[in-house]
Amino acid sequence: MSDNSAVPVADLSKAPLPTEKMLKRRKSVPIQLTRFAVFNARIMRMVLKGHG
Amino acid sequence: MADVVVLGAGVAGHTAALHLSRLLPKGHTVTVVSPNSQWNWIPSNIWVGVGKMGKEDVVFPLAPVYAKKGVTFKQAKAVAIWPQGDSESDRGAVDIVATSPGADGSSERIRYDYLVNATGPQLKFQMTPGLGPHGGHTVSVCTADHAIQAAEALRATIARLKAGERQTLVVGMGHGTCTCEGAAFEYVFNVDHELREAGVRDLARVIYLTNEKELGDFGVGGMTFADMGFETSSELWTGSLFRERGVEAVLGAHVTKVEPGVVHYETLDGEFHTLDFDFGMLLPPFGGVPLAAYDKNGEDISASMFAPSGFMKVDADYSGKPYAEWKASDWPKTYQAIGYDNIWAVGIAFAPPHQISQPRTSPNGTLIAPAPPRTGMPSGVMGKTAALSIADRIKHGASAKAHEASMANMGAACVASAGAGMRTGSAAAMTMMPVVPDFERYPTGRDLKDTRGELGLAGHWVKLMLHYLFIHKAKGRLGWQLIPE
Repeated sequence: MSDNSAVPVADLSKAPLPTEKMLKRRKSVPIQLTRFAVFNARIMRMVLKGHG
Repeated sequence: MADVVVLGAGVAGHTAALHLSRLLPKGHTVTVVSPNSQWNWIPSNIWVGVGKMGKEDVVFPLAPVYAKKGVTFKQAKAVAIWPQGDSESDRGAVDIVATSPGADGSSERIRYDYLVNATGPQLKFQMTPGLGPHGGHTVSVCTADHAIQAAEALRATIARLKAGERQTLVVGMGHGTCTCEGAAFEYVFNVDHELREAGVRDLARVIYLTNEKELGDFGVGGMTFADMGFETSSELWTGSLFRERGVEAVLGAHVTKVEPGVVHYETLDGEFHTLDFDFGMLLPPFGGVPLAAYDKNGEDISASMFAPSGFMKVDADYSGKPYAEWKASDWPKTYQAIGYDNIWAVGIAFAPPHQISQPRTSPNGTLIAPAPPRTGMPSGVMGKTAALSIADRIKHGASAKAHEASMANMGAACVASAGAGMRTGSAAAMTMMPVVPDFERYPTGRDLKDTRGELGLAGHWVKLMLHYLFIHKAKGRLGWQLIPE
């Protein structure tokens, strides 16, 4: 692997990191089942509103 | 009795053909012309590209589906359109060249009463020297076969990492005018996931190289989300994921050439850089497929029917206004070709009137501008819209009003998986409404109720569900028409 130290990567040090609680929420099956239902409901609402 | 010809069997063309087979009374014909014998659920190529799925999971043969639906299938590519007819007939015609294995390249001219151009993109790897899997030095996930090669290259990289060699993996856009940033975004997080699963993430440097000026642009100018009572941006939301996963990003980049193990690129500030890599998956820019148009006398009228990019001009405003003056209403509604109300161009095949993402130029004059995405949900809706318009014209006469489906009034979902597994998977799931922002209707350009982004296991389930649902639909199985586009 060569030296890529001069690669102009974006500074993401100010981007917010998720909390432990948020990381657990993202993997919690009961919470994610709810999010699954909400996401699908939102898709259906978009379909009804704008897909003719 | 009318003859309908559909060019292309991707999401837009195949959707149009299925609906036409359902809507048209007996006696009318539907013919699909596609150079490929198989249908490909392209969003899942990402999983093929990391070895989580095989080619057989994402493709199936078209001929049996069309045979079941009473659609004639010709494995061929269209090379010319005669919208006014020719010296032998006033009916429109298309010249096609056979592409099936063993075909001798024979051509024929087929007549149509209604034509749907859904030819999709030409993958223009040649715009960047050294780009792509056909003689170049990078891999791609644009087709299932490309994705298989990508998975093999990734496997080899992981083997080197396991042997203790440090590796640099670059994923992103192979040209400053590429589109489909969402696909590269999704692939980079699947690669990250694979490296973690293999226990070698600490030895790998993963870099996302993109033409977007900001993370989260996705070729749609980014999105504003409402979250916990605040308005936040897709840039912040996406940046968070990159930081969390340790994926680095190079923004506003135009790849000028690729040599073995080295990407050369220019950034928006006009500086030129190189990036040494061990694994590279860079997507190509898209253009329209090579398709000429001739008038009745055989004069070439391609310039009036197609934009310089090769995409077909439809009922949009192509007056070339400055970027700041464009409005959502400039986008096409019916997708009927200019001057020919019996021709539709849908999906990637229609020429967008302008960039959604602000186009930028480097001090050297290099255009670095993500092109507008028009794949997935919008493509399917356009295909259905064209089918509905054609069916109404056939059943109710020429005065039947054309159906409309502007991307400025249409939502889309983008589910970018970031790791597989029913309990361990994750995805960045986004919805936007509308795709083309309308600042006259919404202060942020989009409806905040329906423009959302969230991360989690649920997104992975959605992506899996869409995989099985859309393959079921594309196979024309029981209840297919009830599944929305």
